[in-house]
Amino acid sequence: MKFISKPIQILTILLCPFWFAAAHADEIKVGAHLSLSGATARAGSGFLEGMKVAEEMFNAASKKHKIKLVVIDDESVPAKAVSAVEKLAAEGVVGIVGGYGSNVIGPASDMAEKFGLTYLTAGGVSDELTKRGHKHFFRLNNNPGYERGVMTLFEELKVKSVSIVYSTKEAPAKLAIGVEKAAQAKGIKVAMHPFDPAITDFKPVINKIRVIDKPEVILMSGYENDYVGIIRAAKVLKPQVKAMIGMWSLATTKMSSEFPDLMTNVIGSTMFAQPMVFTKPQDKRFAETYQRMYAKEVDYQAQFGFTKAELLFEAVTRAADKGALKKGGLSEELRKTDRDTFIGRVTFDEYGDNPNFRLRMGQHQGGKVVVVSPRADSTGAIVYPGVPW
Amino acid sequence: MTELILQAIYSGLLAGGVYALLSLGLALIFGTMRIINLAHGELVLLAAYFAYTLETRAGFHPLAAIPLALLLVCACSLAVYFLVSRIRVQGGQRELHTLMLTFAIGIILTNTILLIWSADVRATATQGLQVPLQVGVFYSMWSEIIFFGISLVLVAGLWWWLSRSWYGRAVRAVSSNREAAKLMGINPHRTEWISFLIAGVLATFAGVAIYSSGVIFPSLGHALTIKAFIISVLAGVGSIPGILAAALLIGVTEALTVTLFSSALQEMTGMVLFLLVLFVLPNGLFGAAARRG
Repeated sequence: MKFISKPIQILTILLCPFWFAAAHADEIKVGAHLSLSGATARAGSGFLEGMKVAEEMFNAASKKHKIKLVVIDDESVPAKAVSAVEKLAAEGVVGIVGGYGSNVIGPASDMAEKFGLTYLTAGGVSDELTKRGHKHFFRLNNNPGYERGVMTLFEELKVKSVSIVYSTKEAPAKLAIGVEKAAQAKGIKVAMHPFDPAITDFKPVINKIRVIDKPEVILMSGYENDYVGIIRAAKVLKPQVKAMIGMWSLATTKMSSEFPDLMTNVIGSTMFAQPMVFTKPQDKRFAETYQRMYAKEVDYQAQFGFTKAELLFEAVTRAADKGALKKGGLSEELRKTDRDTFIGRVTFDEYGDNPNFRLRMGQHQGGKVVVVSPRADSTGAIVYPGVPW
Repeated sequence: MTELILQAIYSGLLAGGVYALLSLGLALIFGTMRIINLAHGELVLLAAYFAYTLETRAGFHPLAAIPLALLLVCACSLAVYFLVSRIRVQGGQRELHTLMLTFAIGIILTNTILLIWSADVRATATQGLQVPLQVGVFYSMWSEIIFFGISLVLVAGLWWWLSRSWYGRAVRAVSSNREAAKLMGINPHRTEWISFLIAGVLATFAGVAIYSSGVIFPSLGHALTIKAFIISVLAGVGSIPGILAAALLIGVTEALTVTLFSSALQEMTGMVLFLLVLFVLPNGLFGAAARRG
């Protein structure tokens, strides 16, 4: 130290804390509000698993930037989600990974917009979400993607009549109404059966379908507990249908392992055949990390959680490198996204929607989920007619 | 249409049997202590989850899980009583405090269930309970028939206990006038904890019934409490046959609403019926009759 002059020594000592601070200053906070309790806790927990894997993988791979995920449980309640966004903004997050359910995402993303925070979700499919003129709202999945999947299946099976049993909750109801319009436009006879989310005994509904509608297929738009109730009622009443088809959360190996007697031949929307086979190096790393962290098989909600976190983290990195992170540059960077992910190609249009989103349809066969539609992507032959009884 | 209506009435009666099981415990505590136990649905759910654990981990038939579930749920029910009784002694606004306390206990129980069993949807895998049973135009599962029978037996047993046994009469005496009951040599505390114990027994049966016929998930408890509360008030305080009648009425009304109108209106119809009855008979279906008598 005797070679260094006194003023430089003092300056070095004074600047040391700032240097250390600078060395750790690139830890960037990204917020998330998720339904870790309440009615949609299953989805929120699944998302969180994938997001934590994304955080782990990102931080392991990135030397320059570190991400800290700040997660708040919104309890599946819209008001709590709004409070969560306010709290996250106060904590200085640069962007928010959104929760589950259009009714929750709507007000939460309104609040994020007020703070100018980028908001990316994979849990709200309502069309209204992208019609609000928000500059910072983005989402990966949407109703048209689910509708396309179902309509392709209907066309391939040459379905002539369908009874749609749907929850009156916003997302399943809008999806059901969308399918109704699309099906009627194709000349398919449609009967609609909305049900209150609190309903537990579906026998009166299924009996109406059995005695009055007599459709070729039954389409269910709801959530896991609804599907179990509907299929169980159908097993008792045995309507003369050729297929039981459902939407999200149905074609998963979890459902076949939990409810093996109910799931045989049931069809639902899916991205991949399950159990999943990971071939790309990045996908293998994800599967290995997931296995290490949770010691269970990857499910689709974890994949959605991983994808939305991964894309947001990448955009954060790009914006940070350009020094635009605190100047609203994150949304601009996220809008430039154009890459293949677990859920297919992702780009964002002017409304923040992903126009490439399209689901396949998978059928429960022998404890596995086989992709049966579109035919071009199928991994096995469809069992049709095929019902669980 | 006749076939549909008959099936709706049949399904409604079977559902009403489970509703009665669900409501008896809440009604008993409300009748004894004037406490609305807002954690009752969560206790029911706890029994259901415990049956699930015994079934999946130890291979127990849900019905065989009842004795062990009874121990757990009764212990929890007594713990609720212990906390509630402390508040009642210390507090001025007892009703409001106990309401808030039991609501908080409900939230704690829901989150405990969530932590232990995760948010996944659960249902029994025991095939025997799910086997369809068709008698003419009537369709049901065996589990529904079994628990409808159990419900009738428990309603009759509770009615007998309250009207014929010494402790049952003591419960009614405390319910009617706590201070006068004390003067008659009845220990109100003992009567109250016995009420909570029996409410735990009833909650256990209700929980296993719901698990055997339906689907369980952590957030279900609150909805169960609301359903039980509606039926208890509809029946009229202190009327055990009234609980059964109100539960069956709600069950049949809901099922007929689905059949004749829309399943989207099911819950609303139940509430409309509830309000309508209270408007005409403010003391409930059987509470008013008892007073008039």
